[in-house]
Amino acid sequence: MATENPLVLPGDEIDPSLIPTHKTKPLRLGPGLRHVPPNQILPTLAGHLIADHRKNALYVEYNGGRYIPSPSDLVIGQVTRSAADLYYVNLTPYTPNASLPHLAFEGATKKTRPQLANGALVYARISLANRHMDPELECVSTSTGKSEGLGPLTGGMVFDISLGLARRLLMARSRDVGKVAVLELLGAEGLAFETAVGRNGKVWVNSESVKTVVVVGRALKETDEKELGVEQQKKLVQKLIKEMR
Amino acid sequence: MTTKREPEAALSVLPKSDGSARYSYAGYTVTASVNGPIEAQRRDEHAYEAHVDVIVRPAAGVGGTRERHLETILQASLIQLILVKNFPRSLIQIVLQVEASPENDYVNTKLMQASLNSAVIPALLQTAVLALLSAAIPMRATATSAIVAVMTQDGASRLVAHPSPREIEAAQSVHVLAFTSQDGLLLAESEGDFTVKEWDDVYDTAKKICCKSGATKGEGIEMVLDEQEDSGPDMRQFLRSALETKVAADLHWK
Repeated sequence: MATENPLVLPGDEIDPSLIPTHKTKPLRLGPGLRHVPPNQILPTLAGHLIADHRKNALYVEYNGGRYIPSPSDLVIGQVTRSAADLYYVNLTPYTPNASLPHLAFEGATKKTRPQLANGALVYARISLANRHMDPELECVSTSTGKSEGLGPLTGGMVFDISLGLARRLLMARSRDVGKVAVLELLGAEGLAFETAVGRNGKVWVNSESVKTVVVVGRALKETDEKELGVEQQKKLVQKLIKEMR
Repeated sequence: MTTKREPEAALSVLPKSDGSARYSYAGYTVTASVNGPIEAQRRDEHAYEAHVDVIVRPAAGVGGTRERHLETILQASLIQLILVKNFPRSLIQIVLQVEASPENDYVNTKLMQASLNSAVIPALLQTAVLALLSAAIPMRATATSAIVAVMTQDGASRLVAHPSPREIEAAQSVHVLAFTSQDGLLLAESEGDFTVKEWDDVYDTAKKICCKSGATKGEGIEMVLDEQEDSGPDMRQFLRSALETKVAADLHWK
């Protein structure tokens, strides 16, 4: 009997008993796996193999490495320059720029569109990403025409975090499933701030007071670097709040 | 003796690179950093696959022809492992810094600049694979590597796995072989005089070192003792346990 979430290395054979089966849904392969025709599934990364029987999906859970764009990810980018009808946005250092059309903002027309200076931050969704083309971004939902929280980020500060923590922060139930509670705990202590989490390992924090921004950023960075659990996060928050006052 | 020591590895040791590893075995200590996929220079760009750039830096001084030779050998092996087709027009950069190499008291190393330094290849390859795994670069398979020397004593030849610098100096021929985790031959570099029969024996010995997995060990206690005596540590098991520690730390919240 194989263990529930076994460690896999690239090229390892996957025990057939771990591959989920479903009557109607097709099997979906997530990150870290590749299908070798005709009937082999091989891992390409080192991590834990996780099977989701309800969704009939199989993926490798891992942390680390560089962000690789994939469609419908939420990212924080920095505008590097503007062309005739689009902005060039940098997602990770030393990678080709993503493009963000001038008209991909809420209510934007040729006459009224957000003017973004070089170096401005945007919170955007990846609308197109494939290996042969540079990624494309959008700050508006194509179905509703609303921004849904996306758009230019003014003020605040960006902190770099690991891709794993960014993924956990973006989970629907980040406290129960992702085991990150720092933001909730800091909010419960009476701090007022807003955050935006980019899947490319960036967190933007904004607040009325600069002190709060720094405390929130430090709490996140420390949680990430020291791999803190929920209990330790509570202690960290108490310590930071005490130092702040 | 330094050569029979257990290998040691630490992953993600450098904070600013995408992935990194430090590995030490048989007197060699190598640190590797991996960055990628990043934007390639126009002249390095391939339309359909990633360019893998391997840079070897020696323990002392700047790299020369010998390092360039090592780079070409490693690059040819690593592009077989990395799924280069996944990242067209990009660059995967691997920098290998040799931090320590075993001293040979009998020979002035400065004089042997011209020859291939085959003893360092297993350490370089192993470190590169660990760093690539740490950088989460998609790969076909992992690899393990071994060095075997053929010694001649009183007319009879004898195989020595993981030879010391002194033994390499005295050996008739030295062979470096690497195998993927699917037991395929990845790299074979030989130096010196040898027959086809000798090479076949070397191949079998190296394959035994590189491809033995934890599962075959349970067959009998005597066999285990036997194997450990001449072929050194189980490299595959070592790779797995090194990654196990790293993945467990990364996914502590699960």
